[in-house]
Amino acid sequence: MANIEKQRAILDFTLAALMRRKGKNAALLVVYTLVVAALASVMFLTKSIRSEAAAVLADAPELVVQRMMAGRHELIPVSYIEKIASIRGVKSVRGRLWGYYYDPVFGANYTLLVPQESPPEEGMVAVGQGVARSALAEVDNIMPFRTSQGALFTLTVGRVLPAGTELVSSDLILLSAGDFKTLFGIPDGMATDLVAEVSNLSEIPTIAAKIARLLPDTRPIARDEILRTYDAIFNWRSGILLAILSGALLAFFIFAWDKATGLSAEERREIGILKAIGWDVGDVLMMKLWEGAALSLTAFLTGVILAWLHVFAGGAALFVPVLKGWSVLYPSFHLTPSIDMMQLAVLFFLTVIPYTVATIVPCWRAATAAPDSVMRG
Amino acid sequence: MIVLNQVSKVFNKGRQNEFVSLREISITIPRQQVTVLKGPSGSGKTTLLSIIGGMSRPTSGRVTLDGRETTSLPERFLAALRRETFGFIFQQFNLISGISILENVMLPAVPNGERHAVLKGRALELLAMFGLEARAAARVELLSGGEMQRVAIARALINNPGVIIADEPTAHLDSKLSEELITIMGRLKQEGRTIIMASHDPLVCEAGVVDNLVEIRDGKIRDSAPAQ
Repeated sequence: MANIEKQRAILDFTLAALMRRKGKNAALLVVYTLVVAALASVMFLTKSIRSEAAAVLADAPELVVQRMMAGRHELIPVSYIEKIASIRGVKSVRGRLWGYYYDPVFGANYTLLVPQESPPEEGMVAVGQGVARSALAEVDNIMPFRTSQGALFTLTVGRVLPAGTELVSSDLILLSAGDFKTLFGIPDGMATDLVAEVSNLSEIPTIAAKIARLLPDTRPIARDEILRTYDAIFNWRSGILLAILSGALLAFFIFAWDKATGLSAEERREIGILKAIGWDVGDVLMMKLWEGAALSLTAFLTGVILAWLHVFAGGAALFVPVLKGWSVLYPSFHLTPSIDMMQLAVLFFLTVIPYTVATIVPCWRAATAAPDSVMRG
Repeated sequence: MIVLNQVSKVFNKGRQNEFVSLREISITIPRQQVTVLKGPSGSGKTTLLSIIGGMSRPTSGRVTLDGRETTSLPERFLAALRRETFGFIFQQFNLISGISILENVMLPAVPNGERHAVLKGRALELLAMFGLEARAAARVELLSGGEMQRVAIARALINNPGVIIADEPTAHLDSKLSEELITIMGRLKQEGRTIIMASHDPLVCEAGVVDNLVEIRDGKIRDSAPAQ
């Protein structure tokens, strides 16, 4: 109990002492908070985009089979469906039609896809939010395309896809198989790739190996591999951002180190007075520990809250062009809060602990000196 | 009783700028009396006070307080001794600026771990004793010299110490305030406290409240006698 009262009294004095150098400490607090907020923003954004992508891709096909020619993705004959379906453990196989279309009018790349379930009627399309924004397309508007032969080909917007799936549907246009084949000149009996469902997920690697043996000109891709690719992309992008931020981080560390390690003549004198009137080295160090902890914990908590607001309420306006770039159409959607506690802990140990320790070290020397210097004014 | 036996203090020992501040000082300071260390600047008064008060250690010799040796105490115990046994009034008052009078007075008691309300009550009582209770929340830099002096005395008394050590307490005071300080010292003596002051101010040295006068020059005791 006495120790709690003692700590409380030391903390009281520390806070009163901090308030005396309002300007200097406020400047440090602002810079410290902004650095934590920037780093935490990158962490929150990367983590929640990855979680979002993983959640959306959870419905992706378990196995995709592409045909390769000269190392490039080539159209695959639908006759392969039967061959793959004959492999034990394969539940179903179907062909998919999808591709990319460059719209020279709006300078945008669209992803065109024929959905398996309830595709749009002939002559109709469903468009993603990004497409709707960039092409100013609303329901019942006509969208002009050029076929592979150069002929004008118009389709009518039947609906706009919901915003919830925008991360992966921003640049998407859904259309019927007939329209797709007409637009790209794809012959009958061909598909872009095949997707397979398997009965037992743990058999996917075995089935993929069997497909590769049975059809040597194909490349089976498992869903896990796609997820890993997304992970790698976002890690890479957040790495770029962190590299840019590392300059700011370094500047902060120099600033904080200077502030924390440089003990002013006034601070030295105060330590002398405290020791002279009966504080021991431990009490003085405890005061400095509280000072460092109060400042850095405030900065850390404020920074994390600011980052939360920036990312989840403000749509991460500052970093989104780097982290969410998707074709040339930027998706705009509300991120679902998702936080990696491990990353937060790392941020805590990289900011709060070093700063707190840095405040104690210079104080140690001053506190271990004999207090009689204060007697000499 | 505070006994100093063959106490010497050498600064920067073994270096070019070595300086002997005290030379084999032996002296006995009785309890519950006022003892004044008298001497010119640089005579070693302040060094002697800091050794008596446990703020620095002698290079050689021993100091005992009521029969208990204090010179070889570890730093932690020495800090506790400074806190519990001694109350210090410094020449420059050494109040901490930017915080209130009340906070300044409470500072020496912070490491005790007392309940905040109890400590605050005691600090306010002391401020009331010196007519400063109305200014408890004021910051120290806004005080006059006389008020600073009284705050410094209140701070020295917060842990109810048996010994008050004052270094040139009248150096920055006019005659009226100096006399006021001497009156306060007389009151503290009546309460049963031991008072040790370093001063070369005749007002202090010749005050009726002083029991013993110890004259120091060049780090040595020239004369030690009961005050006239």
